[in-house]
Amino acid sequence: MATEQELSEFLKSVEKRAFKRSVYHVRNDESALDIVQDSMMKLAEHYGHKPAAELPMLFQRILSNCTLDWFRRQKTRNTLFSNFGDFAQSGEDEEFDLLETLNLQNHSDQTESAESSTQRAQTLHAIEVEIQELPARQREAFLMRYWEELDVAETAVAMGCSEGSVKTHCSRAVHALGIALRAKGITL
Amino acid sequence: MTNSHQYQHQLAEDRFGLSVTARLSDAADQLPYDISERLRAARMQALGKRKVALVRTSSQLATAGANGTKAFGHPAWWDRVAAAVPLLALVFGLVAINMIQTENRANELAEIDAALLTDDLPPAAYTDPAFTQFLKISSGQYQ
Repeated sequence: MATEQELSEFLKSVEKRAFKRSVYHVRNDESALDIVQDSMMKLAEHYGHKPAAELPMLFQRILSNCTLDWFRRQKTRNTLFSNFGDFAQSGEDEEFDLLETLNLQNHSDQTESAESSTQRAQTLHAIEVEIQELPARQREAFLMRYWEELDVAETAVAMGCSEGSVKTHCSRAVHALGIALRAKGITL
Repeated sequence: MTNSHQYQHQLAEDRFGLSVTARLSDAADQLPYDISERLRAARMQALGKRKVALVRTSSQLATAGANGTKAFGHPAWWDRVAAAVPLLALVFGLVAINMIQTENRANELAEIDAALLTDDLPPAAYTDPAFTQFLKISSGQYQ
């Protein structure tokens, strides 16, 4: 059974990545925060007694489900209030892109020269944009596999699909990102 | 040769994927202060939820332990069997009463039949309307 300290350390280690992943999916900071908070609370409430080694997989699964629930709620809401929903969604997208760019530039200024920090921020922004452009399943597989560093089998369990599908999603995501970034003149 | 080529291809994909996510990690580490604080608050709230869940679980166990039978470690199926015993006894009782009553009724009918057959008067006499009329009249005279 995970102690409170272990659970706290685990949540601390994943919360930022979980937030960014949710942002890439839902493209909205507030919604991403809600999703991460829901996931943390569900993990703590229902699986807080599980061994610490099981927490990463459980959290990935819960986060995926919470994100899926958010999309379902959005779909319902958009069906009911389609006109208002479309209008609000487009406004949030624009705000997100602008804030993201400004924030990254502000933080990079502290340690790097203005030129390199700008270039770094632009590269990061381009990567984030391209990741957001990926199909949802490809993005999910790519981020779990390479960012959360789950292996193929764990990613398949967390996504509820076969290992072959995970490999296909990851491969397609890598190729799509490679082509898109090369087209923008970005090399990693 | 083909396997080696696939392996190299897979390695190149993995390397590219990791280099992309390394950049993302930099971005995640540099989240704005307000977002970091809200994540921290969410974490604290989640840990609070865990405490509530643990307290609830332990209090449920304590209630179950105070229940007598469970305190002695009887398995759950035994409790169910014990609960079904009165119901089974009721069903057996009803069936037994029904059988006894059927047997009593059969005995009574057998006694009547035996009395009729051993009487001096033949049973066919009771179906004769004139004899029935005679019985009525004679019983009226005696009263």
